[in-house]
Amino acid sequence: MIEFRPLTYETLKVGEEFVSDEHLVTPEDIETYAFAVDDHHPWFFEDSPFGGPIAHPTLLGNQALRLRHSRYIVHAGLHAKMEFEFLEPIRQGVRVRSRGTVVDKYERRGKPYMVTEFVTEDEKGMALVRGRFTQMLFRG
Amino acid sequence: MNTSGPALPSLQKEISQRKIDAYSVVRPKSIHTDPDWARQKGFRAPLAQAMMSTAYVSELMTRFLGAGFVRGGTLSMVFIKPVYAGDRLTVRGVIKDKRREGGGTRVSVDVWCENQHGEKTAVGTATGLEP
Repeated sequence: MIEFRPLTYETLKVGEEFVSDEHLVTPEDIETYAFAVDDHHPWFFEDSPFGGPIAHPTLLGNQALRLRHSRYIVHAGLHAKMEFEFLEPIRQGVRVRSRGTVVDKYERRGKPYMVTEFVTEDEKGMALVRGRFTQMLFRG
Repeated sequence: MNTSGPALPSLQKEISQRKIDAYSVVRPKSIHTDPDWARQKGFRAPLAQAMMSTAYVSELMTRFLGAGFVRGGTLSMVFIKPVYAGDRLTVRGVIKDKRREGGGTRVSVDVWCENQHGEKTAVGTATGLEP
């Protein structure tokens, strides 16, 4: 059982670790993402050079970005920076999970920020995507 | 940022609320999908998720390098200006560098998104392996 608390700069700890739930990448996920970003590359729906359909490389970015929601109530935040390394294609039908660690928090011009490093893996533990992102927290 | 090198074909993206809703999942108290909440947080309208701009650049790079971006690509972006529902973005890239890596060549591209007013909303660098 998770006891959710509002996210504040003060309660957030550098070194905190997050783990997402496992998610099955479905054809519907891929189609919805293609609609949302208006990118209908045939590799998403037919065959790809990797064997079978794949998802958009950034499909799982939100799983990583929402890691903090696995423990905190987060009503608003702004995404300041994003770094991705696309290590392996995200194949349709794979089960994925993201893990992240808060590696820094700081205040700049009176605004609080948190920095998270993450990796998204398949069910065999193979890293598909790795990266780092910076999010601004809203006070109050 | 280098804006004078060889340019990749640009992309145009119309940012509708419906696309934002599909990307971010509609829920109350979201600056992306709840107009009242967005206004309470100081924005004139719901914002597109910044992550959507990484998807646009990913498309730009996949069109350019194909499998060499999907496996082995990198992307680093800073989000400098909000993108609102109703905005129109142009996604651009300019080749800045090529270097040998293993048995191939890694290409670095300066990338950015600009809105209908010509203002940059996100800037960064993307790389991938040439076919």
